[in-house]
Amino acid sequence: MSVSKNKGTNLLRSSEKSSLRRFLALYFSLVVMILSLLGTFYYQSKEKLMYSNQRTILSDYAHEQIQQLRRLHRDFPQKSTYPRSSEFRSAIYDIERSKIFSTLHSQNVNFDKSFYHKNGMLTSVTYLDDYYLGTKYLFIEVDEDANWYSNVMMEIFSLGGIILVVLGIFGLFFVNLFLRPMKNSIMLLDDFIKDTTHELNTPISAILANVEMMNTEIMGEKNRKKLSRINIAAKTVSHLYQDLTYLTLDHNRKSNDEWIDLKKLIEDRVEYFAILAGSKKVTFTLDLNYSTIFIDGIKIARVIDNLISNAIKYNKRGGTIHVTLRKDHFIVKDSGIGIETEKVNDIFERYSRFNSSEGGFGIGLNIVKSIIEEYSLKIEVSSTLGEGTVIRVDFLKGTVDDK
Amino acid sequence: MINKIVIITFLTLSLNAKEAEPKKYIYANHCMPCHKHLPYSLEKIYMLYLKTFSGELTFKASLKAFLKSPMEETSVMPDEWIENFSVKEKTDLTDEELDEAIDTYWKLYDVREKLH
Repeated sequence: MSVSKNKGTNLLRSSEKSSLRRFLALYFSLVVMILSLLGTFYYQSKEKLMYSNQRTILSDYAHEQIQQLRRLHRDFPQKSTYPRSSEFRSAIYDIERSKIFSTLHSQNVNFDKSFYHKNGMLTSVTYLDDYYLGTKYLFIEVDEDANWYSNVMMEIFSLGGIILVVLGIFGLFFVNLFLRPMKNSIMLLDDFIKDTTHELNTPISAILANVEMMNTEIMGEKNRKKLSRINIAAKTVSHLYQDLTYLTLDHNRKSNDEWIDLKKLIEDRVEYFAILAGSKKVTFTLDLNYSTIFIDGIKIARVIDNLISNAIKYNKRGGTIHVTLRKDHFIVKDSGIGIETEKVNDIFERYSRFNSSEGGFGIGLNIVKSIIEEYSLKIEVSSTLGEGTVIRVDFLKGTVDDK
Repeated sequence: MINKIVIITFLTLSLNAKEAEPKKYIYANHCMPCHKHLPYSLEKIYMLYLKTFSGELTFKASLKAFLKSPMEETSVMPDEWIENFSVKEKTDLTDEELDEAIDTYWKLYDVREKLH
């Protein structure tokens, strides 16, 4: 069997898309985290380098200032002008940490650190051995390079951005590489279903037609039961066939919307499934008001069939199915096995089944979902494990007959 | 007897005169007269002390200690000075008077007041 692309089939289920999104989110988080870490290290090394350079410059300024203080001390008091520079500010303190003179912008100085930065200013402290003018501590202060921070951040973000884009492209490439086998498997399954569907139609139609034509009145009780079982089996296969046909062929056709009498349709479908329900001793209770909806007849029938079929399939032996129809909604409530709360959102996924012990491909509710979405209807599922499931479908205003 | 009376009277007057000496003149009367004949001015010595001891309290304490017990080892003056002038004699001022004189000396040449 060749693997061909089925355009009508969404190859990636939403859970797979969600996994893909989660993987990409995780991948990008990791990449961003690593880049942030590298960016931090880079920033710190650049900062260290900048401070080291500034420290050397401040040390030169301090040396220059000490020479000036030495000359001033020698010529004092004939010369008493404190030496100033346009490139730095300075202050001198005596051994008792009492200020002698200061041109600093900072009001508070730190005697315990030989170099520090505070309020956008870098300050170095030099300890003098000869106390010119009584100076023990010489403070040199300069403004921090305001452009340094923005330049470094620009470097980090531009480089980080480029790396992020490159790694992002790699990430997408790897994801596609890893997903290819999964995509191929799904395509193979879709193609298999499509091919086999063609082969089911004629024999099922023949079986059902002949079962209908058989005269059960002249049969013995045993044969009637056997025929009933054949009928149930054939209808189950027929139901499956219709789902598969819809999935692979019909859903691409143009919708043929018309006013559908939902009460009649539900009654017909309940009658159709009566034998199947009877086999599990499941009983129907109907509470149907008159309601019509403007929709494609085949599609709404697929919705009702699948909801009733599932209600029978996952019901307890001797259980009940309650169908309610009102003007703007209908409800199918069963007394079945129920679904775990965390799995409720997954029931509409293709190839997912409530219970692996039951048969089927797990495509029925996926079809329901696609039709519901096509007609912008609203579906709500509430379920309690061990008690049953309630599925409510609301019709949009305008699609129902308001008369 | 008359001699004794004269001596007692002289000593009493001397003590009264000493008590009456204003504190601010202690420095002027007891330091300046000798130093004005020396090649190193008091200002230069101040700068030498300042360069050696830096802070006000250290400066004053060191100077007071030296004045009370002058020694070559504790002098801040250059060796040439010591060779030529030796160290001064021990002061006869009281601690309080010394403090007053040193305070006056510190204030007179305080660099904080002169730097601009």
